[in-house]
Amino acid sequence: MTELEAGRVRTLVPARNGAVLQRYRDVLIALIAFAVLASLPLFTGSKALLDFVIRCSAYGLFATSLNLLVGYTGLTSFGHGMFFGLGAYSFGLIMQKLGVPIPVAFVATLAITAVIAAVIGAICVRLKDIYFAFVTLAFQMLIHSTILSWASFTGGDQGLRGGIPRPAFLGINLANHVHLYVASCALLILGLLAMRQIAQSPFGYTLRMIRDNAARASFLGIDVWRAKLTVFVLAALFAAMGGMVMALFVSGAYPEFAYWTISGEGIFINMLGGVSTFLGPMVGTVLLLLLNDTVTRFTEYHGIVLGVVILFFALGLRKGLLDFVAEWFSHRRNTGEGR
Amino acid sequence: MTRTRTPGISRRSTLALMGAGAISVAAPWVARAQAKTIKIGMPTILSGRVAQLGTSSRNAVMLEVDKVNAAGGLAGRQIEMVIRDSKGQPQEAARVARELVNTDGCEWLIDGEASSGSFAVHEVARDLGVLCVHTCSEASSLTADPKQHIPNAFRCVRQGIHDSIVGGSYAASISKAKGLKKWATCSPDYAYGRDTTGEFTLYLKRFAPDVEIISESWPKLFQPDYTEVVTKILQAKPQALYSCLWGGDLTSYIDQANIYAMFGQMEVFAVNMADYTALTVVKNLPKGIHSGNRYIKSFPSTPENAAWGDAYKAKYNEYPTNWSWQNATAVMFLSEAAKKANSTDGKKIAEVLKGLTIKCPFGADGTVTMRGDDHTLVGYAIGWGTTIPQEPYVPEVKAGDWKTIFELEAEWKKSKGYI
Repeated sequence: MTELEAGRVRTLVPARNGAVLQRYRDVLIALIAFAVLASLPLFTGSKALLDFVIRCSAYGLFATSLNLLVGYTGLTSFGHGMFFGLGAYSFGLIMQKLGVPIPVAFVATLAITAVIAAVIGAICVRLKDIYFAFVTLAFQMLIHSTILSWASFTGGDQGLRGGIPRPAFLGINLANHVHLYVASCALLILGLLAMRQIAQSPFGYTLRMIRDNAARASFLGIDVWRAKLTVFVLAALFAAMGGMVMALFVSGAYPEFAYWTISGEGIFINMLGGVSTFLGPMVGTVLLLLLNDTVTRFTEYHGIVLGVVILFFALGLRKGLLDFVAEWFSHRRNTGEGR
Repeated sequence: MTRTRTPGISRRSTLALMGAGAISVAAPWVARAQAKTIKIGMPTILSGRVAQLGTSSRNAVMLEVDKVNAAGGLAGRQIEMVIRDSKGQPQEAARVARELVNTDGCEWLIDGEASSGSFAVHEVARDLGVLCVHTCSEASSLTADPKQHIPNAFRCVRQGIHDSIVGGSYAASISKAKGLKKWATCSPDYAYGRDTTGEFTLYLKRFAPDVEIISESWPKLFQPDYTEVVTKILQAKPQALYSCLWGGDLTSYIDQANIYAMFGQMEVFAVNMADYTALTVVKNLPKGIHSGNRYIKSFPSTPENAAWGDAYKAKYNEYPTNWSWQNATAVMFLSEAAKKANSTDGKKIAEVLKGLTIKCPFGADGTVTMRGDDHTLVGYAIGWGTTIPQEPYVPEVKAGDWKTIFELEAEWKKSKGYI
């Protein structure tokens, strides 16, 4: 080893240690979050609260996976909802038609999603900006139309009827509300942790570089197409996980899950929560669902209220809530240091 | 003067906000303590394209609930309706239904959802075991398919298959009388449109075997422009046209077909025409369109039905819809069942509802029945007639024969493997 190389190793080792430390920290935070969420049923008998967290898990996984594309890679997908729908339908259909154990259906759904996402992604990620957005939207409409017209298989516009069977496995009975709740929390935390690892890995930083300057990344020898395709497929997998949680929650799958409005909600959640922090979409999910659930209790004119909220975030804060808070903190710290 | 407060939200206002939040979260539990009233939850569509139908469902329910409350309530308990918007999204319908039961303490559900939403609420009823009456979904499989059957859910709605049988036999009789052999169809391209049209032509051909379908058009749901469809039909030169377009789609279609003077060139059978939401919106309602009855004050032509339609109009300043009479009938059923059971216990009510026959302004013979074996409404007024451009819009309606409906429905169920 030359002196120069030895010097490099010395600087790399602390950096690697830092990354390992951060990973441990993330795992620890995830464990604590799971412990807090999973113990919630011990303190409250509120089924509505548990329902709320289950829905947060479904939408949270979906919105955070969309942020892998939008926030980290700069790929604004208008059709990400197709994977949410695909997850719900694949899982529901496998459970209804084949009656396999839930984990098998879960893995099979991820496999199906990966294959379809790879095919769609291979076509879409070659395109940039608005072209990418609209081609993803077109694919979403294709999947939505397929669900509608293939009525003998998918139930058409009435959805998958008759309930999704939920046989017990390994002592977990998802027909039981608390079991479903804990399982949803576990999927959410595992999903978030996995996405966090992806975002913080060298691959995650490659994505950021592609977002900021794809040409430079390409000149540095990065296969931009392959990196984009990989993240497109990964994001689809987590969106499908969200779809499966939703299918379990409503015990069915409906064409609305694959409609463009779901993608729209995903983008709205990202706008609400912010795209420059990892947990931004999760904060956005909680905000949107809270807003939705509270406002619809009092009025059917919820559209107006949500519209005003969008205006507030777009014109008032000019960014998502967590982005705003993060900037405010860093601004405060900087001015504090300056004193 | 110096500023002592930093800009932004103060600690005090943060605490106030948290307090307000806690109160709003706790409010449902406080409300639950008042058990003297019985809460009935109702998810329905109050925003979006079919909001008018959801609103008319709410109106009808409230009209009947006020009567029940004035007469002493259900087994001595006053009814409190908790009605919420589902936006027509099944996942919202499921959430709202669960929230109504779990948080708001609703003991029963009236499900004012259509299509996929009703199946989502059905799953909630299966899951929670709560008494549920569907009041808007016309999809036959909701009650005909034994896989859907649960002891605590009932359907108080007309059905696609009933409409098709009556429509088919009516159209066949006109067909034979006028020699209409070449038919065209034009229906919305989704499950309801395809199924209803398929069933209608099946029964039309059964009653009039020499009928031939020479053209089919499937415009998209909520399609704004029907020029292409109208010209295609005109070119095919059919003698008669069947359509199950509904609401805004039907009225736009008629307005656009009027430009081509289509209604003078063929007999038109539009099953969803005789509904005030369509009749009063069309600019120039052509004379002589054949239609099934949705809700029309003149059919059944009884003083009770006319009085009900007038009472609704007097209260809400508009005519009731098809969804209105169905929702009103649901409240009548629940009220009668509570009287018979002398209880508001969901299980007891479900037992009484099975096979229950009640007096009802919308009954073919003044009564309607909740059929016991598949928990669905039968005996309601069903028939076809022709339109005139002004009130009463459909002056004479030829009533369908329930004996034939029952026979053919049983056959249809067998062919689907339901029985």
